[in-house]
Amino acid sequence: MINSSLEMSEMESKQYIVVMVGSEQYGIDIRFIDNIVRMQKITRVPKSQHYFKGVINLRGEIVPVMSIRSKMGLEEDVITNTSRIIILKLEEKGLLGIIVDEVKEVLNLGENDIEETSNKGKFIYGVGRNGEDLISLLEIGAIVDENV
Amino acid sequence: MDVSQYLEIFIDETDEHIQALSDCIMELEKEPENMEVINEIFRAAHSLKGMAGTMGFKRMQHLTHDMENVFQEVRSEKIKVNGVMIDLLFKCLDAIEGYLNNVKQSSNEGTEDNELIIKELNDFIKMAEGEAAEPEAPASEPEAVPKAEKKEAPEAPASNKEKKYLSIELDDTEKDKLKEAEESGLHLYGMTVYIQSDCLLKAARAFLVFRAVEEYGQILVYSPSCHEIEDEHFDSDFSFIVASEEVYEKVYEAAKEVSEIEEIVGESLKYETMVGRAETEENTQPQKQETSVQAPAKEEVKTPQVAAKPAASGNKKQAVAKPVTNRTVRVDIEKLDALMNQVSELIIAKNSLVSISSVESGSFQNQSFHEQIEYLERITTNLHESVMKVRMVPIESVVNKFPRMIRDISRKLGKKMELCMSGEDTELDRTVVDQIGDPLQHLLRNSADHGLEDNETRLAKGKPEVGTIFLNAFQEGNNVIIEVGDDGNGINIEAVRAKAIERGVITEEQAESMSKKEIVNLLFMPSFSMAKEITDLSGRGVGLDVVKSNIEALGGDVEVKTELGIGSTFTVRLPLTLAIIQALMVEIRDEKYAIAIGSISNIEDIPVKDIKYVEAQEVMHLRGKVIPLIRLDKVLDIPPREEPESLTVVIVQKGESMAGLVVDNLMGQQEIVIKSLGKYINNNNKIISGATILGDGEVALILDVNTLM
Repeated sequence: MINSSLEMSEMESKQYIVVMVGSEQYGIDIRFIDNIVRMQKITRVPKSQHYFKGVINLRGEIVPVMSIRSKMGLEEDVITNTSRIIILKLEEKGLLGIIVDEVKEVLNLGENDIEETSNKGKFIYGVGRNGEDLISLLEIGAIVDENV
Repeated sequence: MDVSQYLEIFIDETDEHIQALSDCIMELEKEPENMEVINEIFRAAHSLKGMAGTMGFKRMQHLTHDMENVFQEVRSEKIKVNGVMIDLLFKCLDAIEGYLNNVKQSSNEGTEDNELIIKELNDFIKMAEGEAAEPEAPASEPEAVPKAEKKEAPEAPASNKEKKYLSIELDDTEKDKLKEAEESGLHLYGMTVYIQSDCLLKAARAFLVFRAVEEYGQILVYSPSCHEIEDEHFDSDFSFIVASEEVYEKVYEAAKEVSEIEEIVGESLKYETMVGRAETEENTQPQKQETSVQAPAKEEVKTPQVAAKPAASGNKKQAVAKPVTNRTVRVDIEKLDALMNQVSELIIAKNSLVSISSVESGSFQNQSFHEQIEYLERITTNLHESVMKVRMVPIESVVNKFPRMIRDISRKLGKKMELCMSGEDTELDRTVVDQIGDPLQHLLRNSADHGLEDNETRLAKGKPEVGTIFLNAFQEGNNVIIEVGDDGNGINIEAVRAKAIERGVITEEQAESMSKKEIVNLLFMPSFSMAKEITDLSGRGVGLDVVKSNIEALGGDVEVKTELGIGSTFTVRLPLTLAIIQALMVEIRDEKYAIAIGSISNIEDIPVKDIKYVEAQEVMHLRGKVIPLIRLDKVLDIPPREEPESLTVVIVQKGESMAGLVVDNLMGQQEIVIKSLGKYINNNNKIISGATILGDGEVALILDVNTLM
């Protein structure tokens, strides 16, 4: 029973965490998310890529934290009370934190709710529709790609 | 047949045997008459054969078998050891190593039959024996000798092989099982299997016996227990009771098929007598039965089977040297890594306790709390040391393949040379040892190929004809030093300088101002080869820079000293431990950094006015030395501050060069756990070698002094 219902949902829809970066809503596939933590002290690493804010201590592990704004060429991060670090887990390279302004909700999006886009830029692979709202779906591969 | 669980043991032990063989053959080359060495080789080859057979590696077994034949001939003094034979044996060894590498990669020996080598081996035997002996001789000969021995020897053991299955203590469930089996019309057989005492994979043998027996029935009772047998917790025998439909002989034959079994005793049992015996200890019954059992047992002795031969040589081995049992266990390195990680966590937790206790000073000072923390600190430090020690292995396992390598190179190049090694027992962390082999090999080849002159030149220079290459390892403080060098011609500084200019690595002006040492260091630049011709030994220019980067990846460094006409020495410096180090914590503005204590020579406060300039570089004078200053804030892109009146300078040392690191504050010494920064952050110039977690949970970065300098 459980199995078949899981399969059903996997076929029809995926879960996304909806976050705010600036004034835009982004969706991150929940399969890539290990954890969401509050803002904490980030230790700067000299001579690293400009979009890396530094490293944090996540339960004894050293996890690098990236400014997704800086990576996408947006304005500097403004850290507020609602800022969070989303810890992504990628198989080949391990944990990576990205800074977002706010975590809004978990959303189920079916295939029908997603439109492929070609003009949204390299970090977005599609746009999801949630009622009136449009949610840009983040291409995790591009975020961790050195050359993008 | 599923023997995969023994694969690791097989690989480890085969490695050891190959090494032993290699050492012995080298020895044999020097003393062809040394009987002890020949016996040793025979034993190693024999064990290899046995293990390969067990694991089902037929090709490997075949090759080792033929190798063993050659030694059998040598042992019986039919063949004299000569150069051709030594070369041939080394070829075999390489082929076996090839099989082993295949096994390591794919759990499969591969498909190379090495027919050529096998043919050469057989030809060699034939040739040595001359026309008189027929070609079949080598095969049958080795068996003849052991058989003779076997005839007298086993008589005695045969009679004192106890029928241990009779003394198995049965519990109620086992009794029930036996009773049930008998009632359902099955025969019950008790068997005790004696494995040869030199058998290497006893548990595997037991496993194979069980499999064979279970073809015919079900094993109901094990002694020792099934688990103990699997874990090899038994001497050389084990017993079991099997319920089967077949006659005893069939079961017995099946079990006997397994090799390296010395003897099997057994008989048909009745439930009643078994239980009865357990109660009364009276045993007139078994004595009567003994005769019936003896028959198959004796049969085994007479049958000229493959197992008989190993048995004989095995018995001999015991007589020669039964090593004092080493009380050791093999542990998977991953388990040790896990243990190390946990110790690391413990140290982090301890550090945070220490920092809490120092913050919460004030009026309320709990004496015993502090005592306990100190106690904890001692324990964790000791624990760490112990775990570190467990991970330490002698570099022997890496360096002992070098004499063979040098021998081969010597033959290939036609230069006479000798390798002198010392300090093979120096210990290093397992991970370092695993990775130090290639760089050292490179350095040795360099010495053999480029360093040493050919024999005529040496004689002409009045040097001994045979060149010397040396490898000395020793511990120095928190480092292990490995020196590799030769008494050859040394590095021609002028030639390197010319080559560097020619290649456009440096300009002529630069070359003018460079010191001898700086020029020599050019050799470590990528693609900088001095060899005039490319040989398959060296000269491709992928040598020294790879050596350097490999060693640096291990947290070490390498230096060269050279004297034209006298020789050169490469000094490799490696850290003793990798995961946990003592470090000095320093502060620069609000950032905290760790500097390994091992590289710090001292700490000075110097007034700003004492700073001098040499070629626009800030330097300080300290006890007659000029030491360049490195402003860490500049290097680390930290915003500048107002210059204070005096600077705190941490003097660091790398080999003979020194530098002064300017910091704001010293925070004290601390044991830190090194963690990697991960794969995302591209720390281009490698100034940061890792990170650590401080007592308050904050992350501090670790400065790599070697790259800073």
